[in-house]
Amino acid sequence: MKKVLMLGVLFLCLVVSSCAKKQTVAPEDDEFGEDQEQTEQISDLEAALLEPEEFSQEPAIRGTEFDSKIVLETVYFSFDSSSVPQSVMKTLKENAQFLKDNPSINVVVEGHCDERGTTEYNLALGQKRAVKVKEYYVQLGVSPDRIATISYGEEMPQDNRHNEAGWAKNRRAETKVIK
Amino acid sequence: MNLNFVRNISIISVIFCLCFFVSRSYAENDVYLSLSGTASRASIGLSEFVPVNGFFEEMNLSREFKDTLEADLILSRHFNVAVANSSYKFDLDSQFAYWMDKGVSVLVTGSISIVDQTKLIVGVKLYDIESQQLIWEDRYGGSVKNYRYVAHKINDEIVKRFTGEEGIACSKIAFINNSTKFKEIYVVDYDGYNLRRLTKDNRLNVLPKWVPNKPQLIYTSYLYNNPDLFILDIAKNKRKALSTIQGLNSPTSCSPDRKTLVATLSRGVYPNLYLLDNKGAVVRRLTEGKYIDTSPSFSPSGKEIVFISDRAGYPQIYIMEVDGANVRRLSTKGHCDSPTWSPKGDKIAFTMKYNGYFDIFLYDLPKQKIIRLTEGQGNNENPTWSQDGRFIAFASNRSGRSEIYIMGIDGTGIRKLVETRGESFTPTWSQGLSL
Repeated sequence: MKKVLMLGVLFLCLVVSSCAKKQTVAPEDDEFGEDQEQTEQISDLEAALLEPEEFSQEPAIRGTEFDSKIVLETVYFSFDSSSVPQSVMKTLKENAQFLKDNPSINVVVEGHCDERGTTEYNLALGQKRAVKVKEYYVQLGVSPDRIATISYGEEMPQDNRHNEAGWAKNRRAETKVIK
Repeated sequence: MNLNFVRNISIISVIFCLCFFVSRSYAENDVYLSLSGTASRASIGLSEFVPVNGFFEEMNLSREFKDTLEADLILSRHFNVAVANSSYKFDLDSQFAYWMDKGVSVLVTGSISIVDQTKLIVGVKLYDIESQQLIWEDRYGGSVKNYRYVAHKINDEIVKRFTGEEGIACSKIAFINNSTKFKEIYVVDYDGYNLRRLTKDNRLNVLPKWVPNKPQLIYTSYLYNNPDLFILDIAKNKRKALSTIQGLNSPTSCSPDRKTLVATLSRGVYPNLYLLDNKGAVVRRLTEGKYIDTSPSFSPSGKEIVFISDRAGYPQIYIMEVDGANVRRLSTKGHCDSPTWSPKGDKIAFTMKYNGYFDIFLYDLPKQKIIRLTEGQGNNENPTWSQDGRFIAFASNRSGRSEIYIMGIDGTGIRKLVETRGESFTPTWSQGLSL
């Protein structure tokens, strides 16, 4: 009898204490706070004010449509990375060759990300992926003024699964032909 | 043993029932409400707003009006709010004794009348209970349809009289929702009422940001296949393109004087920060390099900009002056994003990935310390400040899908802003808006 009563009291205590815990989520300085005293000074050179330069030459895609009859291969990236993987360089070389063989065609490179990460960062990361692919095309001899770049961030997933298989398909750069 | 067990179970359940009934009867009489009992608050009594003409619609409205004001006073977290029970009498003499008995120091009361079926007149009075003095008296007019705004205005005036600072009950929160399978902008009152869809583009709209002190939102839309910057006036229901440079035109932050914008542009290369005028023309480039510089937010002085950059190899928080000079790093760890400067200028709220999840943190500038606000509840992103700097709205997927929540800047008192279908993202809280 006593044992069970004890258990009951213990249970009540637990309930009460867990409730109390929930209510007092007092903010405490955590481990991140420790080394905050030294805010790093970045060299002033890096931040030096820059004169407005001419806009980089790239074709405008605003309001244009894409030619769905010509399909260039999509390439995929590693998580949180904008480096063009070794494994996709063959695909990009084939795309570049097609562009060199068809000098009247302009393209847009669309950079995409998986859903992990923040909206703003992913927009920027998608742009970085698109630029890396453009740079590779240019390196292979395609004129930069034929290649536009754009980012969709995490907004246009190709695969809606919330797992690594899905994410791997969404970290990509698509090369689309502008009509 | 078996019998004893049953007996003990019944003892425990009696205790539970007692607790339940105690709290029930407590709730039926005088309810002392607060989101947290720790801080010292003024105890404020709220009585009925007497229906002047006494007809049915007026009595209903009186009740709804009082409920709205009561919710505002509670949400402000400045007060312990006591409301009267049903046996409460309206004559003033017995009121003072009644409220004195309840330990209330200030009483809000008044009258309400409907004129010409659509117009609303509210008389409000604020009494000091101990001295029985009238502290404040005023009359508010409005439309019956918008009675909530009249209550919000009265709340904000009461808050101002107690604290000297503007209340936030007239503020609104805009956000993105995907329930249409696209991403459209919605706006809702700070208390979750009057949800309204602003865009019907069947396209992608991302990262809305309020223009300070204006009913205007700047956001990015893929309406014309390019992430262009648009400005939307929710009062005039009009919008126009602001920056349509090929490539990224997002995200952005408007300066407090509304004369300049800082925005991330890609211009065919890497996403960097630029200063634009309020017509969208580039004034100057602020950052350069083969890395990401984005997520800008103006300081309330308009002299500095906080942003993120992956120049260190991963996204970290930096501050620079508005001309791009004197860049310095604030954070030292984790993937950081969405920094946003507090209205008083002493803190920066941001999201940081730590142990696989994003959580909301504050950087206290004078103390140079990081304070954690959320923990162990899924991902928590895109903090946005209330104009009094006492609350933060953010997006969290703690329920299994992304929704908008509000919390105090001590991390307590978390409430879901509004029930919606689909998922909601990237809230932005209006500053200095009084609609």
